[in-house]
Amino acid sequence: MRDAAAQRKIIHVDCDCFYAAVETRDDPRLRGRPVAVGGDPNRRGVIATCNYEARRFGVHSAMASSQALRLCPELVILPPQFDKYRRVSASIQQIFRRYTAHIEPLSLDEAFLDVSDSPHCDNSATRIAEAIRAAVRSEIGITVSAGVAPNKFLAKIASDWRKPDGLFVIRPEQVAEFVRALPVKRLHGVGRVTAGKLEALGVKTCADLQAISRLALSQSFGSFGERLYHLARGEDERSVQSSRRRKSVSVEETYSQDLPTLRHWQDQLPDLLERLRRRMAQLDTGYLVQGLTAKIRYTDFSQATCDGPGEKLEDAAFAELLEALWQRRSEPARLVGIGVRLRDMTAPQQPDLFEEERRQALARQRESL
Amino acid sequence: MKFTINRELLLKPLQQVAGVVERRQTLPVLSNVLIEVTDQQLSVTGTDLELELVARLPLEGEVQSGETTVPARKLLDICKSLPAEADIRLEVDGERMVVRSGRSRFTLSTLPASEFPNLEEEVGGAQLEVAPDQLRRLIDSTAFSMAQQDVRYYLNGLLLELRKGRLRAVATDGHRLAMSDAEVTGISDDAQVIVPRKGVMELARLLGDSTQPVKLTVGKNHVRVIAGDVTFTSKLVDGKFPEYERVIPREGQRRVMADRETLRQALGRVAILSNEKYRGVRIQLSDASLRVQANNPEQEEAEEEVSVDYQGSELEIGFNVSYLLDVLNTLHSTEVQIQLGDSNSSAVIVDPNVTATLYVVMPMRL
Repeated sequence: MRDAAAQRKIIHVDCDCFYAAVETRDDPRLRGRPVAVGGDPNRRGVIATCNYEARRFGVHSAMASSQALRLCPELVILPPQFDKYRRVSASIQQIFRRYTAHIEPLSLDEAFLDVSDSPHCDNSATRIAEAIRAAVRSEIGITVSAGVAPNKFLAKIASDWRKPDGLFVIRPEQVAEFVRALPVKRLHGVGRVTAGKLEALGVKTCADLQAISRLALSQSFGSFGERLYHLARGEDERSVQSSRRRKSVSVEETYSQDLPTLRHWQDQLPDLLERLRRRMAQLDTGYLVQGLTAKIRYTDFSQATCDGPGEKLEDAAFAELLEALWQRRSEPARLVGIGVRLRDMTAPQQPDLFEEERRQALARQRESL
Repeated sequence: MKFTINRELLLKPLQQVAGVVERRQTLPVLSNVLIEVTDQQLSVTGTDLELELVARLPLEGEVQSGETTVPARKLLDICKSLPAEADIRLEVDGERMVVRSGRSRFTLSTLPASEFPNLEEEVGGAQLEVAPDQLRRLIDSTAFSMAQQDVRYYLNGLLLELRKGRLRAVATDGHRLAMSDAEVTGISDDAQVIVPRKGVMELARLLGDSTQPVKLTVGKNHVRVIAGDVTFTSKLVDGKFPEYERVIPREGQRRVMADRETLRQALGRVAILSNEKYRGVRIQLSDASLRVQANNPEQEEAEEEVSVDYQGSELEIGFNVSYLLDVLNTLHSTEVQIQLGDSNSSAVIVDPNVTATLYVVMPMRL
């Protein structure tokens, strides 16, 4: 356990509707108008980010662009320009670096900073956060919100507290009082399902959660129970580190009864897809789907996987992959899994002189497999 | 089969040929070299089915003709470890080959010569004579840009293009491209072929020893190079090389002239703190100055400023520093000229005094 002398100072910086803010900065005609960045409404695109003007109409990220246009007909939907966002993000990180080297970017528009040992601003995390916000505003031309707290979990909640263009500080001595009033729904990792379970136990706030024993939490929530126990007390020991980016996301289910036919396999897709979508929704926006995968484990525990192209999470695409697996080996399965391969848009991108040839060669390779 | 030969005379063809022979083979005879003795001539052949090298040399003294195959690596190691200028006697005795020298004696296993696969006997097609250093220069200035195990298999090799009066080599891995021309005379026909990567490497090695003009024959499926006593034959990559000329920017608005060695050293230093995986560096160009900056996931940073000859608007552009260093290491000139468009267009790097060779490097978005 940490003692008070080793108290950490963590800042969570979160750009306000980043992609939309960058676009509005670069085209003043957009100012004051509802603006979103996202996919083409005619091609089943979704909204990646929208500004507050658009949110007033009920538009939000991950919403289908076509639905967003129905809610807000004058909404301007711009195609994302990741190169530009990456450049702006790099400039913002340069500003962070003036104050600390301990930076953990979560995506292009979010980062944790550990300023515990920063010699700047008399080691005041609050003043560093203000200085960063002012520098981003004047040098980059967009606004960011910041949260200051003794750990990552609270800093992240704090940055959301006064959004947009706000700063919220949770001092060590305020932690206990702050978390008691905090609704459990705001805890990272508590989604609809967990929140529902907790509500059934009569738990709405962290104060309620604190009343539940460590053992009971572990019994109800497995390993996450232990985490809940600490979160309810405002405890989070995770250190700020340059994060590892994901290459894929997948979900799978082992069935109590073996699935004898392709039809039975494919019948599991709606449930699996729903879970995959939920997992994807937890990812930040710095990823693009660049392919789909499916996996089968047979009753003898051997397993097979199949990769395919595709950017959309659709039943039909996964059904095809399962069919390919079935054709290779038509036997009962005990497990079905689906997933996506991701392209990390926050990583540097090396364009190719012969991109078209590369795409064709990859497509041919997939066909021959 | 029986003959006696001076160690140095045998060592050279064995070394030339052994490079082709792969250490791990599915077909046992491919680990062997073919030794043929006819009419006072010895020929040594190595192959990997894609590539074949035959070295020939005259024999003196008592010679019995014949042919066999023996393990390439072992025979080479034996010859290497015998004392300099030693005489070596090789003799086939049943299914064995006996190697004697002074008071040493080795018995090697053999496989019948009839099992040894041979590549194309006749490689008909476009022909050309070229100085070995010219061909060597073409390969040295381009081969480093070839792809390695790319799905675009036709990039895993070197394009050789024969056109009226010009032999051109082009290599690209998609991220950068190298192109070099040599003026030649006596091209019989136009041709465009892709020589596989391994063949290119072996050919470069072979040309290092050669002084006589080499004869190049470009067939439909094979390319053959006869350099002195050695005949090199390689299968060609069966594929269409992309239209490379369309990716060479013709008009870069920005021209930078820099001292090659100064720039090379600055990039080399900055590279130390670039991301090990992506190797990205940021270049900021302004009047008379080129600044290079890199940082890594540990947030360590390197920065350099190089004085250059440049007037024009400012530009920030990212590159994989390895690609720039490869070019600067290959050029020999005092100065280099870099032509740039905007931050998304590829750079063209040349020796300002030589128009025969140019390099295209695609920028990286950092």
